[in-house]
Amino acid sequence: MLLETHREAIETIVGRYASPRSAVLPLLYLAQDVYGHLSNAAIREVAGILALPETDVFEVVGFYTLFYSRPVGTWMLQVCDDVPCCYLGAEELITALKDSLQIKEEQTSADGMFTLQRVKCLAACDRAPVLQANLDYVYDVTPEKVEALLKDLRSRAADARRRGVSGRFAEDFAVTEQGAVELVARDAPYQSRQFEVQGPPPPPEPIPPPEVESGQDRAETRRASPL
Amino acid sequence: MGLSEYIIMRELNFPEINRFERYCQVGGWEAYRTAVKEQTPATIVQMVKEAGLRGRGGAGFPTGMKWGFLPKGVYPRYLLCNCDESEPGTFNNHQIIDRNPHQLIEGVALSAYAIECNTAYIYMRGEFAAAALTLEQAIDEAYRAGLLGKNILGTGYDLDIYVHRGAGAYICGEETALMESLEGKIGQPRLKPPFPAVAGLYGKPTIINNVETLANVPRIVEKGVAWYRSHGTEKSPGTKCFSLSGHVNRPGNYELPFGLPLRELIESPEYGGGMKGGRPVKIIIPGGASAPWLTAKHLDVPLDYEGVAAAGSMLGSGAVIVLNDTVKAPHVAYKMDEFFKHESCGKCTPCREGTHWLVKVLHRLAEEGHAEPDDIPTLHGIYRQMAGNCFCLLGESAVMPIKSALELFPEEFEAIIKASNERHQRNGAHAIPLRVS
Repeated sequence: MLLETHREAIETIVGRYASPRSAVLPLLYLAQDVYGHLSNAAIREVAGILALPETDVFEVVGFYTLFYSRPVGTWMLQVCDDVPCCYLGAEELITALKDSLQIKEEQTSADGMFTLQRVKCLAACDRAPVLQANLDYVYDVTPEKVEALLKDLRSRAADARRRGVSGRFAEDFAVTEQGAVELVARDAPYQSRQFEVQGPPPPPEPIPPPEVESGQDRAETRRASPL
Repeated sequence: MGLSEYIIMRELNFPEINRFERYCQVGGWEAYRTAVKEQTPATIVQMVKEAGLRGRGGAGFPTGMKWGFLPKGVYPRYLLCNCDESEPGTFNNHQIIDRNPHQLIEGVALSAYAIECNTAYIYMRGEFAAAALTLEQAIDEAYRAGLLGKNILGTGYDLDIYVHRGAGAYICGEETALMESLEGKIGQPRLKPPFPAVAGLYGKPTIINNVETLANVPRIVEKGVAWYRSHGTEKSPGTKCFSLSGHVNRPGNYELPFGLPLRELIESPEYGGGMKGGRPVKIIIPGGASAPWLTAKHLDVPLDYEGVAAAGSMLGSGAVIVLNDTVKAPHVAYKMDEFFKHESCGKCTPCREGTHWLVKVLHRLAEEGHAEPDDIPTLHGIYRQMAGNCFCLLGESAVMPIKSALELFPEEFEAIIKASNERHQRNGAHAIPLRVS
C-alpha cells in the first residue's frame, strides 16, 4: 500500500498545495511507478488517499496521455511524429523500431520489454527525430542505431524497473556515432544537431570543459527529492 | 551578428552558469537580494512596465500591464510559471531550464515579490522529466542559500517555489486549463471573465507568465530599463529566443534582438546556415503550429511582433519551422491538424468535431490520395465553422494550417483531386467535375 511504503513522500507532496486534490497528478505518477501501470485498484487507492470521488481520478487518468491504465513494457518508447520530425526521419525511425521489435504502435514486444507509441511534439525539434524512453530523451537515434539502442536499453532493464515509467528520476541520453548510449551532461555546452553546412563553416565557440563531474549533482538530487 | 551580451541564453557568455556558485559569480541573485532588502514591490512592477517587457508565450501581451490587473488588497495571490511547452516547433524553455535554471528561478522569485505572492508554481509538461529534476535541484540550492523559504534574508518575506509536472496534455499551456490541471482536474479551459488576475488558482488572484518572460525579469531589474530598451525595437524591446527547426543546416535556439529579417535567421552561417542541400524554401511557419504560414516571398519580413503581423502571420512563441520543396502543403496541413485533433480537450463542439473532420478529410486526401470532387469546399466549410466559434485558442489555431494551405497552395489540393478523379475514370466510373469554391 502506498501510504505504508511512501507516507513521507506523499505528505510532502500534499503539503505543497492549498487543496489536496492538486496532488493527484504526482500521486498517480508515484502509483504508476510502484505498480507498473495504473490498474483500477491503484486508481481507487489514490482516490482514497486524497478523499476524492473515484470517478474524478478515473477521469484524470483517461485525460492525460502519460498515465497508462493497461500494462506496458519495461521501457515506453515514444517517438514524435509531428512536423518537423516527420520530415526529418521520424517515420523511418518508427519503421525501424517496428521491424526490430516485431510490433505495431501501441503494442508491447513479446518479451514485455518495450511498448512503442507515436506521440505529439516532444519539444526538441532541433534534434529531430526525437525519441523518449521512459521520458528520458534519447537524442541522435537513427534507423541504423536502433539495434544498439535496444541492446543498451535491454541491458538497463533492471534500472528501468527501479526508476519506473513516469520519469521521476529521468536523465537524458544521446547515441554516439559508434552506437554507444551516453548520458548528456548538464554542464556540457548546448549542442543542437548540425547538418553539413553549405558555404563557410560557422566559427566554433571555444568553451572550456566542465570542471566538475555532472554526476555528482545528479546523485544529490536523487537523495533529496522525494519525487 | 550575434549579441555581445545575451539576456536569456547566458551560458553562451558564461559556461556552466547552470551551477549556483557560477550564477552568483556573474551577478546572479543580486537583483533579487537588493529588491527584497531595499526595493518595494511597486518599484519592480514599474521597472518591468517601463522596460516594455512583452509576454513571450505567444500573445506578446505587456507583462507589467498584466501584473497591474491584480485587485488591490486581495491575498493570497499566486504566480504560475507556464512551462507546458509542447507546440510543434517550440523548444526553448527546455534549453533555458537545462542550461540556465537559476535565472528562471530568480525571475520567478523577483516576479513573486513584485506581485506580493508567497507561493509560486512552475508548471512543467510531463515529458520534461529530467528538466524538472534540474529545476528542483536548483530550487533546493536557492533554499539552502536562504533565498527562498521563510523570512528571506531577514526581511520577513516568505516565498515557496514548487515544480509541478503535468502529464501530457498540450491544452494545459492555455492559462485557465493550466490552473484546472494544477487543481487536480482534467485540463479543460475555463470561461473568461473572470480573468485569472481576479479569480485564478483556487479562486485567488493569479498571474501566469511564460518561462522566457520570467527569465527576462532579473536582467531588467539588475541592469535597468535603459539598458534593456537598448535591445530590440521600440515596440518590442529586448531579445527573443527563436527556435529554428525544419530543413535548415543548423536548427537550434538563437537569441536575437527583435527586428532581424527572417532571411538572416535562416541563411546566416551563424544561425540557420542556409537550407539543407541548398533546396528552396517552400513554407515558413513563423510562430509555432498556430501561426498562419509564410512563403519564400516573405523572407525579408522583420522578426518582431508588428513586422510578422503586417505580413499576415504572427510571431507567437518565436518557433520558426522552415520546410523545403519536398513537402506537400496538404500533408503539412494534415500533420499540423492531427496535432490539434490529438490535443483537443473535447470541451467544445467546434474544436472537438472540427479537428476530427479536418483530419479525416485530410488523411484521406494527403496520406491516401483518395479525394472527393468537393473536398476543397468541404475543408473550407469545416474551418469556417470553427473560426471564431471555439471556446479557447486551440480550436482557433487548428484553423490556421488548413486555411493557409488552401490559400497559398490550392493547386496542390486540386492536383490530388484531379489524379484521384482520373483513377476513378480509368476504373470505369463517371468523371465528376472538380469544384474549387
